Amino acid sequence: MKKQFNKYIGGLVILVALVAGSCTDLSETVYSELLAEQFVPSEKDIPAIIAPVYTGMRGMMAGWQGMFDLQEEPADQIVTPARPNGWYDGGTYHRMHEHTWTPTQWQPQNLWNNCYRGINTANRVIYQIESGEIPMEAGKENLLAELRAVRAYYYSVLLDTHGNVPIVDDYKDVELPEQATRQQVYDFVVSEFTAAMPLLTETVDKTTYGRFTKWAAKATLARVYLNAEVYTGTPQWALCISECNDIIAGTKFQLDTYYRDIFKTANENSKEIIFAVPYDETKATGWQIHMKTLDPLSRLVFKMEAQPWGGNCAVPQWIDTYDADDQRLKDTWIQGPQYNPDNGNLVIDYVKFVKDIDLAASNQGYRIGKYEIKIGAKAALSNDYVVFRYADVLMMKAECLLRTGHEGDAALIVSDVRARSFRANPAKATVTGAQLLEGSSYNYGYVVNGVVTEAEGGADIQYGRFLDELGWEFAAEGRRRTDLIRFGVFHTKTWFNHRPTSIEKALFPIPQAEINKNPNLDQNPSY
Amino acid sequence: MKRECNSKQVMCARKGAGIHLRRSLMSLLVLFLAISLHAQTRQLSGVVKDPAGETVPGAAIRVLNTTKGAATDVDGRFVLTLAQGENVIQVSYVGMKTQDVNVQGKSSVEVVLQYDMLGMEEIVVVGYGVQKKGDVTSSISSVKADAFVKGAVKDAAQLIQGKVAGLTISNPSGDPTSNAQIMLRGITTLSASTEPLILIDGVPGSLSTVAPEDIESIDVLKDGSAAAIYGTRGTNGVIIITTKGVGQDIKPTVEYNAYATVQTIARKMPFLNAEQYREHMADVPGFVDLGSSTDWVDEITRTPVSMNHNLTMKGGNTNSNYTASVNYRYWEGLFIRSDNKQASGRIGINHTALDGMLKMSFNSIIRDRNYWTGGDGYSFNSYVYRQAIIRNPTDAIYDENGVWQERNTYFYDNPVAYIMESDGQNNEREIQMNGKVTLTPVKRWNINLLLSNNTYNQTRGFSQTKKHVSTTKSGRNGYASRGTSANQSKLLELTTDYAHTFGKSNVSLMGGYSYQNNIFEGFYMTNWDFPTDFYSYNRMQSGDALTRGEATMNSSKSENTLIAFFARGSYNFDDKYLLMASLRHEGSSKFGANHKWGTFPAVSAGWRISREAFMSDINFISDLKLRAGFGITGTAPGNSYMSLISLNYGSRFLSNGVWIQGVEPNRNPNPDLRWEKKEEINVGLDFGFFEGRINGTVDFYRRRTNDMLWDYQVPTPPYLYSSITSNVGVMDNHGLEVLVQGTPVVRPDFNWMTGITYSTNKNKLVSLSNDQFQTTNDFFYSGHTGEPIQQTTHIVKIGDQIGNFYGWKSVDITDAGIWIIENADGEHVPITESTQDDRKVLGNGLPKHYLGWNNSFRYKNFDLELNMRGAFGFQILNFQRMYYENPRIYQYNMLESAFDKVYGKARLTYDLAYVSYYVEDGDYWKIDNMTLGYTFKLPNRNYVKNARVYASGLNLYTLTGYKGIDPEVNRIGLNPGNDERDKYPTTRTFTLGVNLTF
Repeated sequence: MKKQFNKYIGGLVILVALVAGSCTDLSETVYSELLAEQFVPSEKDIPAIIAPVYTGMRGMMAGWQGMFDLQEEPADQIVTPARPNGWYDGGTYHRMHEHTWTPTQWQPQNLWNNCYRGINTANRVIYQIESGEIPMEAGKENLLAELRAVRAYYYSVLLDTHGNVPIVDDYKDVELPEQATRQQVYDFVVSEFTAAMPLLTETVDKTTYGRFTKWAAKATLARVYLNAEVYTGTPQWALCISECNDIIAGTKFQLDTYYRDIFKTANENSKEIIFAVPYDETKATGWQIHMKTLDPLSRLVFKMEAQPWGGNCAVPQWIDTYDADDQRLKDTWIQGPQYNPDNGNLVIDYVKFVKDIDLAASNQGYRIGKYEIKIGAKAALSNDYVVFRYADVLMMKAECLLRTGHEGDAALIVSDVRARSFRANPAKATVTGAQLLEGSSYNYGYVVNGVVTEAEGGADIQYGRFLDELGWEFAAEGRRRTDLIRFGVFHTKTWFNHRPTSIEKALFPIPQAEINKNPNLDQNPSY
Repeated sequence: MKRECNSKQVMCARKGAGIHLRRSLMSLLVLFLAISLHAQTRQLSGVVKDPAGETVPGAAIRVLNTTKGAATDVDGRFVLTLAQGENVIQVSYVGMKTQDVNVQGKSSVEVVLQYDMLGMEEIVVVGYGVQKKGDVTSSISSVKADAFVKGAVKDAAQLIQGKVAGLTISNPSGDPTSNAQIMLRGITTLSASTEPLILIDGVPGSLSTVAPEDIESIDVLKDGSAAAIYGTRGTNGVIIITTKGVGQDIKPTVEYNAYATVQTIARKMPFLNAEQYREHMADVPGFVDLGSSTDWVDEITRTPVSMNHNLTMKGGNTNSNYTASVNYRYWEGLFIRSDNKQASGRIGINHTALDGMLKMSFNSIIRDRNYWTGGDGYSFNSYVYRQAIIRNPTDAIYDENGVWQERNTYFYDNPVAYIMESDGQNNEREIQMNGKVTLTPVKRWNINLLLSNNTYNQTRGFSQTKKHVSTTKSGRNGYASRGTSANQSKLLELTTDYAHTFGKSNVSLMGGYSYQNNIFEGFYMTNWDFPTDFYSYNRMQSGDALTRGEATMNSSKSENTLIAFFARGSYNFDDKYLLMASLRHEGSSKFGANHKWGTFPAVSAGWRISREAFMSDINFISDLKLRAGFGITGTAPGNSYMSLISLNYGSRFLSNGVWIQGVEPNRNPNPDLRWEKKEEINVGLDFGFFEGRINGTVDFYRRRTNDMLWDYQVPTPPYLYSSITSNVGVMDNHGLEVLVQGTPVVRPDFNWMTGITYSTNKNKLVSLSNDQFQTTNDFFYSGHTGEPIQQTTHIVKIGDQIGNFYGWKSVDITDAGIWIIENADGEHVPITESTQDDRKVLGNGLPKHYLGWNNSFRYKNFDLELNMRGAFGFQILNFQRMYYENPRIYQYNMLESAFDKVYGKARLTYDLAYVSYYVEDGDYWKIDNMTLGYTFKLPNRNYVKNARVYASGLNLYTLTGYKGIDPEVNRIGLNPGNDERDKYPTTRTFTLGVNLTF
C-alpha cells in the first residue's frame, strides 16, 4: 500500500512541476509591421508623415475610373464605346455617357473614397502636429496651413462633383458626420483657403514641387469663384479676377513655349505648371490614361512593355470643331496611320469615325495623345498630372472679363494663349471680342452611323465660342464636365449618343454604400 | 478478410503463419504436462480462430471469476492452468464478439469467434484519448483502412470521400498539386477559414503531411460536443488521422504496396476544331482562316503516367517495437511538363521502461516534394489553359521560320510557347518530429507529455526566356524570380488521465495544458533584363531591372501563439447511462487586448436503450443508443495582427526631388476583436438490427455562429479606411445526417457489405448588425465574373442562405438575338432596357442533398469495391458557356453550341452578359471508385505471407445534365457554384496495383 501511495505522490509531484512551468504569455510580436507605440517621430520624419495626404492623389487623378474619367466620360469630347475586345463592362460607360447613372455607379463613389481618404489623413496629421505627437519647432504654422489648404482642395473637388457632402475637420470626432449643404461646403472651402493663404509659401522650386503653395491655393480659389454661380447661385467674377491677378503679379509662371512640353514625360520643370501630381513609372505608379486609350496594337508603335487595353476615344463631333491650322489638334489626339518604328510596317490606322457607343471597331476614334507616351513605355507613365497651369489662370481671368462686359480685354488674353498653337498661321491666333460673344461651333446632335441627325448646333450657347476655346486648350485635362455645366450645355445639348436628361444630373449621387453606412446622409435630388 | 487493428491502446498483432513441426511439438508437450499434472489442476490448451478459419493472435483469454488470464500467441494458441471448478473461459478480441466458452472436462478447445457487426467494441479516437464506440455520446465517424477509397488518391481527404455523412470532400481541380476541399455540415462562417483541424497522431498537420498508405484510420469529430475540447481550432470539425503502428510481439514484417496510374481528361468542352471553324466562317464575319489545323488543348496536354511505391517495415515486441516506412510517388500532370514528385519517410518507435510504468515513443515524418511550376510559384497556370481553348484552331504553332507563331490580339498568346518558354521548380521539405512520454504511476492513471516540432521550408524558382511573350510582347528581356517560405510550428501538450471503476460505474477524468506557437516567414524577389537565358533563375544578380530599381523584392514574418487549459470527465453507469462533459479555456495572441481568452464548454449524454431490461425481449434490435450533445467551438481570424494599431512605410512621395517613402496606419484597428463562436446542439441515434447485420446512425444538428468575423464597411469619414475586421453577425445552420450500413449477404464464399450516407443542410444568414455596426443595407454582393463581363455573381442577403446567384433572369430572345429578361415588375423587356435593379436570385450553388452509396463484395479470392456519390438540388454558373457560347466574339474560338438557337428561336447577337441561361442545374450521380482485387492463396507461406493485385478507377462516370466539365465545383466560401472558365479539367484515373507482405 505504501508503494502505491508513494507512486501517487511521485506522479503528483511530477505533474505539478510540469504545470508550474507552463506559460500563459499571449503578447504579440510583430516583425513586418511597425507598432504605433514603437514609432517615435522627429522633424526629419515630417515628409514621410505628410506623404499620405498627397500620395492618394495619384490613384484619384489618372488611375482606373478616377477623376479623369469622372470629368470626361459624361462630357462631349471623350467616349468609351464597346469594342470587340470588351469595354461594355455591364454598361458602366454607357451610363456615364448617357447620364443614366444610379447611386451604385462606381466612378463617383471612387472619387468620394479618394477625397475623404485624403481629408481624413489631413485631419489625422493636423491633429498629430497640433497635439505635439509629432514634435515640430520651426515651420509648424506653415505646415499646418499647407495641410489645411490640401484638405480644402479635396473639399473643392467634392463641392464640384457631389455638392452636399459632410464637412469633417476634427480627427478626434468619431460621431457619424452630418451632411452639409453645397453652400456650406463652398463657404468652408473659401474660409479655409483664406485663412491659410498668408502662411503658404510663395517659393516655386524643387522643394515645393507637387505640394500646395500659395499659388496653387489661389488657383483653386479662383476656380471655385469661377464656378460660384453653379455652386451657390451667386456669381463671383470679380473675386476670381482678383485671385488670377495675384498669380499673374507674382511672376512665378509663364506660358510654355511649346504646348507639348507641358505634358511630356519629364514635365516637372515646366514653367507653366502651378500644381501637379507627380508620378513615376516604377516608384510612384498609378498613371493609366494611356492604357485605357490605346488599342492593344499600339504596343508595337511605342515599343511598350505592357499591352494597352484600349479603349476610349474622341467624339467625332468634337474633332470637327478644330481649325485646320490649330496645332493642338495634333498635339492632343493620336490620329491616322501608326507605324512600327523598327520595320516601318503599318500597325493600325486610327480614323475619326466612330460608329456608335454599342460597338465600335478597334481602330475607330482618335486617341488621347496629349500626354507623351515615351518609346519603351511601361504600364505606368512618369508624366506628372497637371492640375493647375498658367494658361488656366489666364483663361479664367479672360472668362470673367468676358462675362462682365470686357470682351475686348478677354480677347487679348485668349489670343495670347493661342499664339503658340498657330505657328503655321499666326494670324489665326488672334481672336476678337466680337468672336468671343458668338456661339459654339460644335455641331450638337444625335449621331447615327456617323451622321449627325436631330442637329441642334451650338449657336445658341451663350459665350459658346469661349467654351470652344476652353475645349481646344484644355481637352482631356479632366475638367470638361465642369465647363459644360457652367455654360449650361451639360443638361441641354445632345452629342454622339447622349440625349439631355435633367439639371439634377450636374451633381453626382451620394454613393449608396455611404448612405447605407451613415443614416445622417440624404441622397441628392432626383436619385 | 484482412485484419489490421491498431489503435495504440490495444495490443494486437498480425496473423502469422504456423509451422507444422512446431505445432506438433507443442501439442505433445501440452499432452505430457496434462498427464503429469494430475487432478488438482489441469492444463487447458486451445486455439482461437476467426470465421474464415484463420488463427487469431493476441486474443485475450480470461478465466471467469478468477484473475487468471492469457493471450494467444503468434499462432493463435494459448495454454492455461485451471483449478477445480474453473470451467468457463471468456475469449475476446477487438472487432469480434466476446465469447464465453464452457471448458468443463476439456483439455483442449477450439474457439471460433464471430465478427462484431455492430462495432460496439470498436475503438474510436476522440479528442485526447480513445473510447469504445458503444460509449461515445457525440457525433463521431470512424473509417478504418480497409474501408478507404482505393487507388491513386492524392491525399488523406480523398480516402474518406463519400464515407462520412455530413463531410463533403470535393476535388474541384484535377491539378496534382492541389488539395481537396473539405466542408463539414454547411457554411458556418463568412470570412474565417473553413478548414477543419487535422491531427496526425495528436500533432496538428496538413492533409499532405502523411502518405495515404501510412494511415490506419481516420476519425472525424463532427459536432460541437466532440470538437469543443479543441476550442478555436475545432469549429470546422476535427479530422484525426492515426498512422499505422505496432502493438506487441510481431515477427519482422515487410509490406510493399505499389501502383501505377494513367489519367485521361474526364470531359472536354466542345470547342470548334479547324474543320468546324472553317464551316462557320460564313456565320462569323470576323473569323480568319490561317491555313493550318491544330488541336491546342491536345498540344498542351498528354496522357500522364504516374507511379507510387510504399515500403513499410515493422517489428519488435511488447516492450520495444518500431514501424518504419518509405514512400515515393511520381505523378505526371495532365499538362505537359507538370508533375508532382514526393519522397517521404516515417519512423515510429515505441519503448517501455520501468516495468511498464514509463512508455516512450518517438515519431518522425520527413517529406520531400518537388514539382515543376508553369506559373510564378505555382504549378497550374490557368492562363495557359485559357489560351489553348480560345486560340484559333486554324493557326499553327510555328510560323514559316520555325519560330513561335504569335498574334497581336488582346490577351492572346501561343499556349505551347507559353509553357515551353517558362521553367520553374518548387521544392518543399517538411520535417515533423514528435516525442511522447507516458508515465503510469498507478494503474489507470497516466501522465502524458507530448512535444512536437514541425518545420516546413519551400524554395521556389521561376524563369521565362527571351522567346517568351513577356519579352516579345512586353519587353522584359528574360524574367526570373525566386522565393522561399519557412514555417515552424511548436507544440507542447501535457495531459493527465485517470479512470476508476466502482460497482457498476466507470468514471474517467482527463485534464491538460497545451501551448502552440507558429512562425511564418517569406521572401520573394524578381528580376528581368538578363544578358542570357542560360542562368535561368540561378544568378539573380545578373538582371538589370534590379540595378535600375524596377525589380521587386519583399519579405515578411509573422507569429501567433495559442495556449489552452482543458479538462474532460465521462461517467458510465452499467454501460447504459453515459455522460460526458468537457471544458477548454483558450487564449490566442490574434485577439484584441480586451478579449484574449475564451471558454468553450461541452456536455453530452447517452442512453443505451438496448441494454435496458425491457428491451431484452425485442430480439431484432441488437443495439439502440440515443445521444445528445451541446458544445461551443470558436474560430480565430487568419491575420495575426488585426487588433493592433500599426504603421507601414510604403507609397512614395516626391520630396525635394527625392522619392521618399510615406508612413501611414495600415488598418482600422479593433482592440475588441475576439473569436467567432459556434454553438451546436446534436441529437443522434445509433442503431443495430439483426445482430448488426444492419446498423447505422442518424444525427440531427443545429449550429449557430455568433460574433461572426467580417470586414465591416465603415463610413469614411470618420474612419481612415473603409473597412474594419469585427465580430458582428449571426449565421444559422441545421441539418440531418444518416448513415446506414448492412451486410445483406454473408456466406463462406461470398459476402456483400453496403453503406449509404445521406446529409442535408439548411443555411441562413441571420444578421449582420449589432449595436456597434449597423447595416441599413441588408445584403452585399460576392463573387465576380471577371473581365470583360465585370459583374458580381452572388448576393448574400440577411435572412437568406449563402450561395444565391444574382443576375438577370433571361426568359426569351428577340428575333434579332437580344436577350429578353424579366424585370423587377415581372415584365419581359429586352436587356438593353434593363437596369441593375432588375437582377434576381437565379438559383443556389449549395447542394440541398448529399448522398453516398458504398459497396464491397467478396467472392472467394476476389474483392470488388464500388463507391458512388451524388449531390442534388443546386445550380452551377457555367462560365465557359457564358464566355464562349457567343458567336459575336470572333477574336476567340467558341463552343459548337454558340451557333444553336437560343430558346429555339434565334442565334445570340448581343454582347457577353451574365444571365440565367448560363445557370444550370448541377444535380449529379457519380460512379467514383471501382476496385477489383484478387488475393492469391499462397501454398507456401514461408516467404510471401500475402499477395494481392488490384485494378481500380477513380472518377469513372458522372450522370448529370450539367453541360460543363464536372458538376463537382467549388463549394466553400461565399460564391459556391461558380465554375470558373480556367478551371483545371478533372481527370479519370485508372490504376493497377499490388500489395505484398513478407
